[in-house]
Amino acid sequence: MRGLLPFLGQRMLFILPQLFGILLVSFFLIKSIPGDPAVLMLGPTATGDAVAALRTKLGLDHALPMQFWYFLVDLVHGDLGTSWQTTRPVLEDLLQRFPATLELVTFGLLLAILVGVPFGVASASHERGWLGRIANAYGLTAGALPDFWLALVLIFVFYTILQVVPAPLGRIDFAVLPPPTVTGFLTVDSLLAGDWAAFASAASHLCLPVLTLGLVNAGPILKMTQSTVERMLHSDYSRYEVLSGLPRGMVVRHALRNALPSIITIISVLYGYLLGGAVLVEIVFSWGGAGQYAVQGVLNSDIYPVLGFVLLSAIFSLFVYLAVDILYFAIDPRIGR
Amino acid sequence: MLNSAATDVSAANGGTEATAAGPPMLAVRGLTVEFAAMAGAAVTAVRDFDLTIQPGEIFGLVGESGAGKTTLARALLRLPPEPGRIAAGEIRLAGRNLMELNETEMQRLRGRDLSMIVPNPRAELNPLLTVGEQIATMTRVHLRVPSREARRMALDMLRAVQIPDPERRMGAFPHEMSGGMAQRIVIAIALICSPKFIVSDDATSGLDVTVQAQILELLRRLVLDRGSAMLFITRDIGITAHFCDRVAVMYDGEVMELAAREDFFFRPRHPYTVMLMAAFSHNQRLRRMWSRPEALPGAAEPAGACRYVARCPLAQDRCRAEHPALRELALGHFARCHFPVRP
Ligand SMILES: Nc1ncnc2c1ncn2[C@@H]1O[C@H](COP(=O)(O)OP(=O)(O)OP(=O)(O)O)[C@@H](O)[C@H]1O
Ligand SMILES: [Mg+2]
Repeated sequence: MRGLLPFLGQRMLFILPQLFGILLVSFFLIKSIPGDPAVLMLGPTATGDAVAALRTKLGLDHALPMQFWYFLVDLVHGDLGTSWQTTRPVLEDLLQRFPATLELVTFGLLLAILVGVPFGVASASHERGWLGRIANAYGLTAGALPDFWLALVLIFVFYTILQVVPAPLGRIDFAVLPPPTVTGFLTVDSLLAGDWAAFASAASHLCLPVLTLGLVNAGPILKMTQSTVERMLHSDYSRYEVLSGLPRGMVVRHALRNALPSIITIISVLYGYLLGGAVLVEIVFSWGGAGQYAVQGVLNSDIYPVLGFVLLSAIFSLFVYLAVDILYFAIDPRIGR
Repeated sequence: MLNSAATDVSAANGGTEATAAGPPMLAVRGLTVEFAAMAGAAVTAVRDFDLTIQPGEIFGLVGESGAGKTTLARALLRLPPEPGRIAAGEIRLAGRNLMELNETEMQRLRGRDLSMIVPNPRAELNPLLTVGEQIATMTRVHLRVPSREARRMALDMLRAVQIPDPERRMGAFPHEMSGGMAQRIVIAIALICSPKFIVSDDATSGLDVTVQAQILELLRRLVLDRGSAMLFITRDIGITAHFCDRVAVMYDGEVMELAAREDFFFRPRHPYTVMLMAAFSHNQRLRRMWSRPEALPGAAEPAGACRYVARCPLAQDRCRAEHPALRELALGHFARCHFPVRP
């Protein structure tokens, strides 16, 4: 593929300034939330002197721009700060929790794609048929259902009544020893270790939260697929393919291929968004993921977990967008050449 | 009106080739295409249309914008532009009645026995597929040849439409082509299955004159080599003078005049035809005499009137009261006029 490297190089150039901008904005936004960690850490009985001493120790007595500078300097040395709640380095916390969220979101999104794209295509190619109507109704409902509510309904049906899934408490049974960490995905790691008991437990714990995220997020993917494929089917070249006597299935396949960039875009946006957006589902299932960690940080003026989460999510999203750019490049010969 | 026109035309519409033994390549009878309007009456874009084209014939159809040319062309493939629909009529391709086929049979026939050359081909080609793939797909789908053979045929076809450096062009994408080259690709797609009949809608309108001439010559040769026949639709009456065996003029969904080329250009009988020819003339007086630029086409003629009455410099009372039938004025020369111009 001629032109791919310069094309990517150009994208890479923007990554560092983008990350810097994201951190800058997040830092000042979080700092603008009222609440003093020193007071929260020492509790209501602390003396003024003790609070002042702790503030000095934490570097909170410096001006905000200086605090940001120190944060950046530490960051360059691989130090994301320490969470006062867990009293552990944020990087360690996140390396443990981020894969938990990522595993949940990745499988949830895969399910959403498996549901959304085929239904979207089917409803676009049978615009006025019953499939189209079902897809429309689904798109509307899925957009209107809160994910945590769906999660509770699913728990009620499949855990409380049918008892076919484990209790919504974490990623794996307490009695099962987690596999050694390689990727951080329990399903993948247990397979790598050949530990079938761990795999079965991790997979069964994933069922309901993945089902929740999949069903809810299939909505936007379905809508986007349907509207784009429909537009492509009304385009000049689809009409020409019909005039040329190409079979309907082939015309629809070509339309889908032309619609892929839009579908990939919505998927990538959902992927980045869900890292934080799945937090309510994480809470319902006591997932112990990164979203939950960050929300605790926001609520308790624990700034470093929040910044760490923002940074990791941003890096992740940028890589997703990079992958998307490569996909665009592979799909559309008009791009970047 | 329907009856009188139909009998008149069916008698001798085969023109000079009416002696041929087999059925005509294309025979259209009473074709009517309507667009359902949001409110009020439906718009009729093609009215009770009759047309007979013989094997090996290139038939020119001229009409100004809005005459219904594209609607007719696509209705012949039973795919009138949305939301149009064929309200009546019969289309026979080499004797086979297309109106009786189901959608799958129609799909197999399009592009294989009956193909269309479209205008503005750069927008009509799939932007994500190489032109080689798009040509090869036609034979893979319609003639069921294996991929390798399909590619070889596509390459031969690219040579036949005189694309320079055809091996390299096989892998080119539509956006990498000039308008003229894209037009050749669309011709290649239309002709690769050696269809019985080709409908060309405004095919060369976007091209400059020298390219246009080359492509027309090429098209003519390819059609005749394959023993096909073609309906060549254009807004440019000049093109038909060099290119077509017979020529018809269409106005507001109807044929106004139809004749063999020489007859048509040397002895035009309908005032509308004369106006179209006068429009090419440098003679100011001639142009003014035959046109009434203040009148709009299709401007609310009463139902029983001649469709051209509002713009006709020769219109009389009878033209406003009675819709004229297409009459044969000389052998193979038809005109839809109560008071045809003297030759
Ligand atoms: N979508 C539509 N809805 C309603 N009427 C339509 C529609 N499309 C076309 N028509 C009618 O059909 C008539 C013929 O249109 P058509 O596109 O066949 O003309 P044309 O001869 O191909 O013109 P051009 O030379 O500009 O391509 C128009 O005058 C218009 O009144
Ligand atoms: Mg047209």
